[in-house]
Amino acid sequence: MTAPIATNQTILVVGGGISGMTAALEAAECGKQVLLVEKTPTLGGRTAQLYRYFPKMCHPTCGMEINLKRIRGNPNLRTMTMTQVVAVSGSRGDYKVTLKVSPRYVNENCTACGKCGEAVSAEVADAYNYGLSKVRAAYLPHVMAYPQRYVIDASIVGTPEGEKAKAACPVNAVDLDMKEETIEINVGAVVWATGWRPFDANKIQPYGYDRIANVITSVEFERLADPHGPTGGKLLRPSDGNPAKNVAFIQCAGSRDENYLRHCSRICCMASLKQTQYVREAWGDAGKSTIYYIDIRAIDRFEDFYANVWKDSTVSFVKSKVARIAENEANGNPVLHGVDTEGYHRYATEHDLVVLAVGMEPEVTGVKLPADIVMDSSNFIEGSKDGGMFGAGAASSPLDVNRAVQSATAASLKAIQVIHKNASTEAA
Amino acid sequence: MTATYKNDFLKEVEANVEDGQWVKMCMQCGVCAGSCPLGPHWQHSPQKIFMMIRAGKREEVLTSDSMWMCTSCYNCIVRCPRKLPITHIMHGLANYAHRLGLAPKGQPTREIAKLFWDNIVKTGRVNELKFSLAMYFKDGFGQGVKNAMAMQGIGLGLMKAKRLNPMEMLGGHTCKDKGGIHKMIAKAREIEDRRKGLSGH
Amino acid sequence: MADIKYAAYICSGCGIGDKLDVDALEKVATKEGKMAVVKSHPFLCSTEGVDLIKNDIANDGVTHVMIAACSRRAKAEAFTFPDNAVSRANLREGVIWVVAEGSEHDEVRQEMAEDYIRMGCAEIKKMTQPAGNPNKAQSKRIMVVGGGMSGMTAALAAADAGYEVVLIEKTAKLGGFASNLLKRVPFNAPYAEAQPTGVEELASKVSGHAKIKVHLNSTLSETAGAPGRFIAKIAQESGAIAEETVGAIVQATGFTPYDINKLTELGGGQANVVDQAGLEALAKAANSGAIKRADGKEVKSVVFVQCAGQRGSGGNGNGQHLEYCSGHCCATSIKQATYFKDANPDVDTIVMYLDLRVPGMGEDFYRSAQEKGVIFTKAKVNGVSGGLSGEMSCKVNFKDLILDEEATVDADLVVLATGQVANAGVNLDEWTATVTAAESGDAAAVQRKSELQKISVLNLNYRQGPDVPQFKYGFADSHFICFPYETRRTGIYAAGPARRPMDMFQAMEDATGAAMKAIQAVENATHGRAAHPRAWDLSFPKARLEGCTQCKRCTVECPFGAIDEDERRFPLFNEERCRRCGTCMGACPVRVISFENYSCDTVGMQIKAVNVPDEFEEKPRVLILACENDAYPALDMAGIQRLTYSAFVRAIPVRCLGSANTIWITDALNQGYDGVMMMGCKKGDDYQCHFVKGSEMAYYRMSKIDDTLKQLGLEPERVQTHEVAITDNARVARMIDEYVAQLTELGPSPMKGFG
Repeated sequence: MTAPIATNQTILVVGGGISGMTAALEAAECGKQVLLVEKTPTLGGRTAQLYRYFPKMCHPTCGMEINLKRIRGNPNLRTMTMTQVVAVSGSRGDYKVTLKVSPRYVNENCTACGKCGEAVSAEVADAYNYGLSKVRAAYLPHVMAYPQRYVIDASIVGTPEGEKAKAACPVNAVDLDMKEETIEINVGAVVWATGWRPFDANKIQPYGYDRIANVITSVEFERLADPHGPTGGKLLRPSDGNPAKNVAFIQCAGSRDENYLRHCSRICCMASLKQTQYVREAWGDAGKSTIYYIDIRAIDRFEDFYANVWKDSTVSFVKSKVARIAENEANGNPVLHGVDTEGYHRYATEHDLVVLAVGMEPEVTGVKLPADIVMDSSNFIEGSKDGGMFGAGAASSPLDVNRAVQSATAASLKAIQVIHKNASTEAA
Repeated sequence: MTATYKNDFLKEVEANVEDGQWVKMCMQCGVCAGSCPLGPHWQHSPQKIFMMIRAGKREEVLTSDSMWMCTSCYNCIVRCPRKLPITHIMHGLANYAHRLGLAPKGQPTREIAKLFWDNIVKTGRVNELKFSLAMYFKDGFGQGVKNAMAMQGIGLGLMKAKRLNPMEMLGGHTCKDKGGIHKMIAKAREIEDRRKGLSGH
Repeated sequence: MADIKYAAYICSGCGIGDKLDVDALEKVATKEGKMAVVKSHPFLCSTEGVDLIKNDIANDGVTHVMIAACSRRAKAEAFTFPDNAVSRANLREGVIWVVAEGSEHDEVRQEMAEDYIRMGCAEIKKMTQPAGNPNKAQSKRIMVVGGGMSGMTAALAAADAGYEVVLIEKTAKLGGFASNLLKRVPFNAPYAEAQPTGVEELASKVSGHAKIKVHLNSTLSETAGAPGRFIAKIAQESGAIAEETVGAIVQATGFTPYDINKLTELGGGQANVVDQAGLEALAKAANSGAIKRADGKEVKSVVFVQCAGQRGSGGNGNGQHLEYCSGHCCATSIKQATYFKDANPDVDTIVMYLDLRVPGMGEDFYRSAQEKGVIFTKAKVNGVSGGLSGEMSCKVNFKDLILDEEATVDADLVVLATGQVANAGVNLDEWTATVTAAESGDAAAVQRKSELQKISVLNLNYRQGPDVPQFKYGFADSHFICFPYETRRTGIYAAGPARRPMDMFQAMEDATGAAMKAIQAVENATHGRAAHPRAWDLSFPKARLEGCTQCKRCTVECPFGAIDEDERRFPLFNEERCRRCGTCMGACPVRVISFENYSCDTVGMQIKAVNVPDEFEEKPRVLILACENDAYPALDMAGIQRLTYSAFVRAIPVRCLGSANTIWITDALNQGYDGVMMMGCKKGDDYQCHFVKGSEMAYYRMSKIDDTLKQLGLEPERVQTHEVAITDNARVARMIDEYVAQLTELGPSPMKGFG
């Protein structure tokens, strides 16, 4: 791969989720040169894996379509997928960045015709569905994937399966000899829009996520509700495929907890309130949702959404951090044990399915970042000491999509200020 | 007893109860209440007791038998999202109530604790036989005989397994330096009282 | 103008050549499409294929390119030729991937493809590659209205990026609400202590910045123009009017605390019951000593009542106040409680909350206040009494929700955490109603109109009203989750609490974002380009005024207030305000509005190009007009997922369903189409239309189409309007099949053969 042309007038945006796309686009639409790098094979990030947004109940892919259209039409913005930042040196206005590009085994010739996918029989876990389903080892990451280009999973490279994919391609797009590449570029400013990941629910042992089939996470529940998900949008529980009509939502699964994440992840209350409406959408009055919470954090006009859910006769609220979950072995139902603290009422309640509203952990937790980066106690990025690198979106704080985009827009201008200073210094 | 919602009692707890300074940190999630294996027997859950302390319900808290229910399983400490040492606070509250003479009369946990303490401080060793008998006879001679008869089988079993020696009735085994133990205990109490700002017991 | 030469390029790759007779398609393009050049290629998006087109453009004089290959959503980069108009016939996602397999479908599949070729050729002949607005606006200066934290932040952010800034502040000094605060909540780790506000440092930076010009004691008496050429008339204290030309505007006019006197049930109006702003004043006056009440008594006990007059009946108060949560008040009360604790740890400090809302790292601030001994009680407050001046203490009656009992506490002072009310100017719904009434001579309305003009922040001279439209509860917010800076007044961006209730950190970040959008707006305007969501679009609406009947539909329906009226009462288009949705074009009953690359003709000629079989062939034809952002991608993705639907439909993407002119419907019906499906975005409160009102306008117009159908002697079922979301791939395929079945049942259109 030839290194993209980047100079100290270039803004590097790390992360191709909605925050990264936004930061990149806002600057590029001002006429600035932007390079957007994304670790996975497609742009879109975690929002592309959501079924609906709160509070409008609209679909994230709608905004993504617009952002992709903006990207496709913008000559100032270049994107690189399957690319990670491995090192940054230099300082504000003049960074040297080392990028690692992983092989996709499919080149620009790909037309997404799907022949390779048809030819291959090996399957791998479908990352788009958080591993709830499988996908052929030659795959399009999802139906909105950008670039609209297949990926050959590394596991079949060097096997007859890989050769089948190659043979099936009518346009010579499958290149099994691709190698990992390292590229060095020069940029003026860096926006870290590296996003978040769901907190590992296995760590919350009393909730039995690793032991009880019908205890799932909120991000997995999004996939169940989504028509593009593993169940085709039906709310069926994992243990037996039976309808999940009586669903419990456990708030602060990992968040606000010094044993796990000491911060509040902000979005989870609204996400669960939203998901109660998936239950209503699926089952009408026959559905039942129970939210177990400490404080319902439905800020600003989100309060309206909370007020409406509160009025919904199928939804009830229990002020309680659930103590533990057991499994009724006869029917696979999770049984929640705890105390409703409003007046001290002990409960042991059975549900069809339990959804853990897992917290947001910065995706860079455990990742070695440039030494100059300042992070808070939960690894959210505040920026760099030299003022040339910025955190944006959920990488900077646990934020909902709207606030993440605000944050990314602001970060974009801060990056432009760095570039502007470079330009005016050079002109002087 | 009506609540005052003044900080007086909270401050009293902070000054006198082991780890009492943690009480204000509770955020009322209730995970301790739900995690307690003896939970159903508690009149007030730990999280509720913390709220009652903040509300100034001094008498209701200190005369409660709730904190005497704690068996030190540590589930609550492990799960508390604010890392409150709940077990320690419960014992601390019980101890404080006991010191003030407000602890509920006839509360079995307290009785057994007292008998155990009296038993062990005497010689520095637990005398199982005397301890059991003291338990059986704590509610009078007649009840004691009944209790002893009921436990007869277990007692014989223990003897067979050499876990119980009838000869212990005659003084029983003791540690090497009984006086030393007594001195140590007195010193420990003195230190603790000093720490809690008390002068004597 | 150079000679026009049309060329068609047909791709036979991706199975197109296997499923379709490409030679026949070439013939259609040549004979019926009248393309001067017609070529096919087995892999058109390859470098070789694209070079073939480029070569024809460079050496063969090709000016207009029709590409028949995959969807316009695919391979867009490969098929972009900046100087040439391009139309796309969607043979892949639109034909071979959605028409059922098997030779029995060969005929209809081929007919469908041939129609798309005809349509692509018809469209390209009516298209011109837009050259951009020749009267480009010039000003890149940013005007910031409001000199509080948000406004100052926006001004500095823009100035530090090299843009000149004009800042308007109505009071005598910079600082705004933040000037009244003793301290602010922490923004950074360890999130433990209240921090200095930094407002004075910020104000001096702003005042001293070479690129920022500050107008104090000033308000806007009129704002005219459009992005890149706004003319602001600034009324100064002296009565003089200064004039500034600016390119974009950030409205950072902040908030006003909800009137505490309205909260009588919580003691509002009593001397010892204050709001958070009142407490800041007491804390400032204490000068880090003990905080005293207005009567001089030292406060030994204080109760904070959260959600006071907020969150409707879910908060505290009688539910008759604000419906929303202001978001910042929990952290603000925590901060204020620590004012007391820091000065004297013995002060009894209770925060009564319903849900404590301190998201993110606010949790650490909450902990730090608890460590200082602030007591948090989950309680519903029933009332506050005894707070009158001279009384010893207030009584707060409440229900302790944890202890589940009614209780009372005495306090020297009660602080009500009241909400933020936006300073967003005039509500345009009220404005329109008032103006209408005033025009019909209503004296009260005339009076009210002049009051509203005084309330107005911007005093825009736009036909649709003097301020930016408010979204909900009086805030000038965006309705879009992905696009928080979406605005219905291009080039004007609200920031801070005028936009949404928020804390200082968010307001500063928001202001930086708004400054970014303002900069973008001036860059777009001065390059003659559209702003989001059609960024980089160089087309703009043109009107043949000689045909205009002055019906005003366009000026009323434009979602962005882009169209005023000139002195002759003709529509006056402000191109820089326009977002190119085409709602005006859809609204125009005499079809005088068009874009160079999108017009009644570009679509109309496609409709006419379709070969409609006669009634004996039993092949119905259904026209689909689909929103290009949601419904059309859904149709595309149905193809990507290889879902099938009837080969009798012909789909045309439209910029917005609001741009659909009813002439297209009547043309289609006259021509013998059996049915028309309109697919647009959701309307109503949770609208999803990216042009806000476009789809709603379309639904409104189509609700009146029944008369037309009656005149034509057609059943109402022949025209259907659907809300389609982008995820509706499967649904849309099903809907098509059901509709085709319904039409088959209904029988062929009686119009066939008359077209």
